[in-house]
Amino acid sequence: MSRVLATASPLADVVDRQRAAEQQRALRALLRHPLLTPTGPDPAAFRLVRAHADVLQRWCAAQAGWSLEVRADLVRLRKTAPQSDAGARPAVDRSGVAFSRRRYVLVCLAAAVLAGDGRPQTTLGTLARGVVLAARDPALAASGLVFAIEDRQERSDLVAAVRLLIAVGVLMRVAGQEESFLRASGDALYDVDRRVLGALLVTARGPSTVTAAGFEDRLSGLAAAFMPDTDDARRLAIRHELTRRLLDDPVLYVEDLDDEERAYWTNQRTALVDRVAATTGFTAEARAEGTAMLDETEEATDARMPEQGTDGHATLLLAEHLAAAEPGQTVPHHELRAWLAPLAAEHAGRHWRTDTAAEVGQTVLLERAVDRLVALDLAVRTPEGVRARPALARFAVAAPRVAGHQEPLG
Amino acid sequence: MEQGGHDGRVGPLVHATVEKAGLYRGVMGVFTAARERFLVHLRPEDVHLGLPEPRPPVAEVEATLAQLEEWGNLRADHDTGGVTTVEDFHRARYLYQLTREGEAAEAALRAYTEGLGRRGALQRVALADVRVQLRELAALLDDAAPDESKLSTSLTALVRRVADLADNAQVYLAGLQRALDLTDADLAAFLTYKGQLLEYLAGFVSDLVVIGAEIAGDVLELDQRGIDALLVRQAARDAIDLPPDQRDGATARLEAAWRDRWSGIRAWFVRDGARRSQADLLRERTRAAITDLLTVVTARNSRREGVSDRAADFRTLAVWFAEAPSDDDRHRLWRAAFGLSSARHLTVDAETLEARQRAPVPPHAAWRDAPPVQVSPRLRATGRTGKRGRVPAVVDRTAAKRALAVRLAAQHVQTEAVRRRLATGRPTRLSALGPLDPEEFEAFLALLADVLGAVRDPHGTVRTTTGDGALDLVLEPAPDGAIARIVTRTGVLSGPDHRLTIVPSARSLPDVVSA
Repeated sequence: MSRVLATASPLADVVDRQRAAEQQRALRALLRHPLLTPTGPDPAAFRLVRAHADVLQRWCAAQAGWSLEVRADLVRLRKTAPQSDAGARPAVDRSGVAFSRRRYVLVCLAAAVLAGDGRPQTTLGTLARGVVLAARDPALAASGLVFAIEDRQERSDLVAAVRLLIAVGVLMRVAGQEESFLRASGDALYDVDRRVLGALLVTARGPSTVTAAGFEDRLSGLAAAFMPDTDDARRLAIRHELTRRLLDDPVLYVEDLDDEERAYWTNQRTALVDRVAATTGFTAEARAEGTAMLDETEEATDARMPEQGTDGHATLLLAEHLAAAEPGQTVPHHELRAWLAPLAAEHAGRHWRTDTAAEVGQTVLLERAVDRLVALDLAVRTPEGVRARPALARFAVAAPRVAGHQEPLG
Repeated sequence: MEQGGHDGRVGPLVHATVEKAGLYRGVMGVFTAARERFLVHLRPEDVHLGLPEPRPPVAEVEATLAQLEEWGNLRADHDTGGVTTVEDFHRARYLYQLTREGEAAEAALRAYTEGLGRRGALQRVALADVRVQLRELAALLDDAAPDESKLSTSLTALVRRVADLADNAQVYLAGLQRALDLTDADLAAFLTYKGQLLEYLAGFVSDLVVIGAEIAGDVLELDQRGIDALLVRQAARDAIDLPPDQRDGATARLEAAWRDRWSGIRAWFVRDGARRSQADLLRERTRAAITDLLTVVTARNSRREGVSDRAADFRTLAVWFAEAPSDDDRHRLWRAAFGLSSARHLTVDAETLEARQRAPVPPHAAWRDAPPVQVSPRLRATGRTGKRGRVPAVVDRTAAKRALAVRLAAQHVQTEAVRRRLATGRPTRLSALGPLDPEEFEAFLALLADVLGAVRDPHGTVRTTTGDGALDLVLEPAPDGAIARIVTRTGVLSGPDHRLTIVPSARSLPDVVSA
């Protein structure tokens, strides 16, 4: 829809197109940052979402089953995860490292301490004391987690958790620095935004009401409590699920769907895809194996391909190498290492970072490249190595073409 | 005093730590019980009878006694009493009694067991007692010849009371802290009586503040009035009771001991400059205990009733994160519970989209068979889209700007001068305008353009202003219809004659002298 060329058209048409473009931009911003406030992370998008609040609310509820809460100082898209999540969207710290077990626990405990305390301000030291007290829960101790602000590693984990809360908008720094807390030489003062704190969880049921003991049972207990029993309700649930995947995931593969979903998809694919494309501005790339919603504006994604820089270049080359392999074949790790070594020798220092010349640097680079391919649903990790998924073929090397000619050379 | 035992271990205490400690403690218990009945010597048979059921055989008891004798707890003397059987005569028989080390060990172990069970207390009554004792000491100081026994009683009572207070307070607060650490089973008891407990703690703190201040005042006063003399007198009294072989240097030692105790009492109540007194520290710890207790109670309550309680939700999530089987599962829980992750999509550039519009790919084609995404060769080769080179330096344009400004200023001055010359304010016939030099002609043409553009009726009067509002223009056609000819250096301008009046408008050109 964004590719329609403008011809001479009446004013109403122009206004309509303008409004549609704004709605698309607002929805893309929500997909990127499900929680928006007037101060961040995208103030312009906050205003856009509020301007088109009811249209977006109706659409999200009807098509994706997501509730969009719009208030004077907060916009929250309750973006529940599709069932098929494999764990490729971790919480990350400022340098992009995924959170460890202790950091996740500390984020939850810090949020619990802030929720239990009624004051509008707090300091890092007070928060730390509260977290240490809360970490004495017997269930946590039984799982082997100990936290007592003893060493620098524990402090830096707590600071990482606090920085995440700042990035989300729960805390706002007023004075001081977290670094001085790391060095145990100072403290930092924060304002607490209770409304953001209240909007953090998107589960249908409160976790404290779920009494299951197994992990999968707990996860499914968080989702909607009722099972659809009529045909209509089941179809609605499937439509919601498929729309969520189209909105949130890079590629929807037919092989990932179960039988009911596949039947629905075969019938309703065009309608679903067109609806999503109309409201988000994405372009659909429909193929036999599945559909990818492409984002030309690059606004609604946090990982891009192709990208500049060492990691991006390595990812691109890896994609081409895997695309050239036999489809469905798993490429073992040692083969990939052997493939990367001469490339690193050629590029390190000239186009790539100098630390990729060493073996350790190459291992890290390979891990990051594979992580990015997995994040974009282009490959999967297996115990033996890496296997390409069908969409990776779009990055295969074609014959070079001189601009202006229609036929490829050679 | 010899320290006995192998590799530095204190021999008499070893029996409490070995595997058969229960039996050894039982045997020693028999000895201590007998001593309370003033029975000092025991035979193995007596010990055997004194043990509780089920009793081990006598041979084992004898071996135990022999081991205890080796460790130094007991002393063995030969039994010289008469026997009744031949076997008894041939068997080595001993009488056992406690040694001095054994008695000391017993006392130590008893103090340990009692100490474990002691819960301590915060004694407000002790504070009042201490104050009473200090008042009595002050009264004794006034007396010229104080009663020795009264003095002795007062001092010893004072010291004992302060020691009690300190000891009990420390034990109690340690116990309270352990309970708050949620590992002691007493937490349930504390929570049941938490109202009374808070009163207890708060009452102690207030008494410590008030009475402690009074005590500090009394102590300082006593110091000034010479409590030292009383301490010396008490030390002398203590020295009288010592046996002869301990009297050497005893007085000095006892005086030093009493002075130590007094300075300890002072340190307990009196703040010395920057160093806080023990009473201050005790008060702070009690206050902190109150705060911690309230926090724990609140946390416990909120956990119990947390149906839709946010804090309980977060705490439950913390436990789930801790118990999740793998890191990937933790990431899934993060996305499912918090929903803050960004969407992810593949991107596409305009050229690929255009190519696809020209040659659309059918939806049933596989990705393998469709044309791939176009990537620029430079990106594929180097990982960068632009050429890398030196960034060109910023060009300094101040000189050119200055030249331009100078030129503009000169032009402006010229234009203003010309306008002033023309703006006479009098109606002038165009034919009467003398030869004009190029700048004047330019300005005149601009004015003419302004005024002619406003003409509606060719035969009427036109009033208008210049584009910048600086001059008011009035144009009237000449009545005789003559032709005006204006001579300039570049040529002659001719046209119907008019009368033109140029007046500087009221808002501008304040320094024009209108003729």
